[in-house]
Amino acid sequence: MSKTIVIQPVTRIEGHAKITIQLDDAGNVDRARVNVIELRGFERFCKGRPVEDMPRIVTRICGVCPWSHHLAAAKACDAVFGVEPPPAGRKLRELCNSIAYMEEHILHFYFLAGADFLVGPDADYTERNVLGIVKAAPEIAQRVVRVRHLCARMLEILAGKAIHPQVAVPGGFSKPLLPEEQKALCAMAAEAHDLARFSIAFAKENVFPKYLDLVKSLGTITTGFIGTVDDKGALNLYDGKLRLMAQDGTLEEFPYDRYTDYIAEHVESWSYLKFPYAKKWGPFSMDLDHPSGIYRSNTLARMNVCECIDTPLAQAELEEFRRNFGRPAQLTLLYHWARLIELLYNSENAMRLLNDPEITSPETRVKVEPRAARGVGSVEAPRGTLIHDYETDADGMVTSVNLIVGTTHNNAPINMSVTQAAKTRIKNGEYDQGVMNTIEMAIRAYDPCLSCATHRLDGRLFVKVDIVDAWGQLLDSFAN
Amino acid sequence: MEDSGTPEFCRKPVLILGCGNVFFGDDGFGCAAIEYMQSRCEMPEHVCLLDGGTGVRKLLFTLLLSAVRPARLLIIDAVDTGRTPGELVEIRPSELPVKKLDDFAMHEVPSSNLLEELRRSGMEVRILGCQTGPLPDQICPGMCGPVEAAVPKAAEWIAREYFTRL
Repeated sequence: MSKTIVIQPVTRIEGHAKITIQLDDAGNVDRARVNVIELRGFERFCKGRPVEDMPRIVTRICGVCPWSHHLAAAKACDAVFGVEPPPAGRKLRELCNSIAYMEEHILHFYFLAGADFLVGPDADYTERNVLGIVKAAPEIAQRVVRVRHLCARMLEILAGKAIHPQVAVPGGFSKPLLPEEQKALCAMAAEAHDLARFSIAFAKENVFPKYLDLVKSLGTITTGFIGTVDDKGALNLYDGKLRLMAQDGTLEEFPYDRYTDYIAEHVESWSYLKFPYAKKWGPFSMDLDHPSGIYRSNTLARMNVCECIDTPLAQAELEEFRRNFGRPAQLTLLYHWARLIELLYNSENAMRLLNDPEITSPETRVKVEPRAARGVGSVEAPRGTLIHDYETDADGMVTSVNLIVGTTHNNAPINMSVTQAAKTRIKNGEYDQGVMNTIEMAIRAYDPCLSCATHRLDGRLFVKVDIVDAWGQLLDSFAN
Repeated sequence: MEDSGTPEFCRKPVLILGCGNVFFGDDGFGCAAIEYMQSRCEMPEHVCLLDGGTGVRKLLFTLLLSAVRPARLLIIDAVDTGRTPGELVEIRPSELPVKKLDDFAMHEVPSSNLLEELRRSGMEVRILGCQTGPLPDQICPGMCGPVEAAVPKAAEWIAREYFTRL
């Protein structure tokens, strides 16, 4: 009798998801589906509001990556108003982006995915979390905590507040950086840079070699990639052109406001979330052996699409990465490795920006005037390419909003990786907690941020596994 | 400029943390309470008021692992414990249902586990909840009358409990 295994939600990723694994009569995986809850009603809420409110509103969408939404919205507003921020305004925005990246990537590597690697995927659930890590590696944990503090403090200094930033405004940045603040930030950025250098060296020596077999087998799929590059093809997380790389490595580039010419959105009846795909590679198919139209975003994608990285240490790491895994690298767990290269890049980039004399210029914004226009802003969020697309009327009021968030780009690949992981890890109906976690690991590699919907304090969410037969009859149910 | 590199919410002896999603009706109660106090109350030096929105778990995570942290933490949040909408109730961390596997994710604010760990580490942890009405399933900001009316009452309670140094 065929069975369905349901795992919900995936723990230790942002938001919650339900994984449904459909077994066939022999107890082997027929297919896997990852269902997520999507934030609904946002466009309706925004319509009729002044577009300059968008950078402030969008930080409320997501408590996990507010800076990415904030900056993408500010850039979309720049485009709507037809202005370019002055150099200091642009550089301050990019600096905030790099610091926010460091905070996120450190959190993910050490405390979210880290539990899988530092404590071990088969460890008991009560140990496989952040406190398990603190116990397993207390000195590293303290250092990591210190740098996360520093990143939060740096953003507090730059934005004038700890969370829900409002400092990026249409036309620039509202708070010039004072020379004494610059000095304090330089010292903090240097400490963060030390941890970034340590992290990749530590992972290459102690973490990745131990799990290389897993890296080579878990969740592996073959897809194209998307990311942002500058005019020379170098990695850029704040600004540039979007670049799509097909499976065979061929590239095409386009400006943000032409994304609809290149990206279409497929709909599946079983998922709230759409499935973006590359129009020219279509039709859309998640068939593991013959995928079509599928691309991935986030760290690994960015490492693949760029020609180079314009900071020396990260560039050296990229070269080593490519010597080991080629270009494009396809192994899903390499997202973690790529994340650490990005951590290093951001630490170098933050120091470079802070040492730029122009960054303390008091000229940080230009005046804007409302007009009827369309503006598309994009940044590379830690979790993937983030696109904000606004239209306004002559009074500058919003008439339409479309957002494609990083995780949405990865919707199809996540489903494919889970199917692949499930197929190799569940045989003849046999599975245990360690096997379940390896399937979750395939999802976690993408660092997805799945939902920013309502929350409750009463702890309603927990992981639940239901086993259901082909006719929807519940055969078994347990929480691990 | 001397700067310890520790964020303010870790440094002050008292942290009052509002949480919720302002886009979802009564769920925004905690954020509204913080905003109300920030605009109307004179803040004592030892208190940090912070609207954590949907990012509270990340802040708690930082607190849990931080060497420098407040002695007293108050969480203000929307709850559903079957009471009348707008009713304020103090909940102990230990009274929250322990759903073990919602632990240590970032969004689903604030996991009972994180709060319990903070309490075990010696921090005074209290939760002030406000009973919500039905929550919208799509974005729809704005609280119902009774929950809105509970905001000043919550502010009064907080001032009484936390604004005078013990």
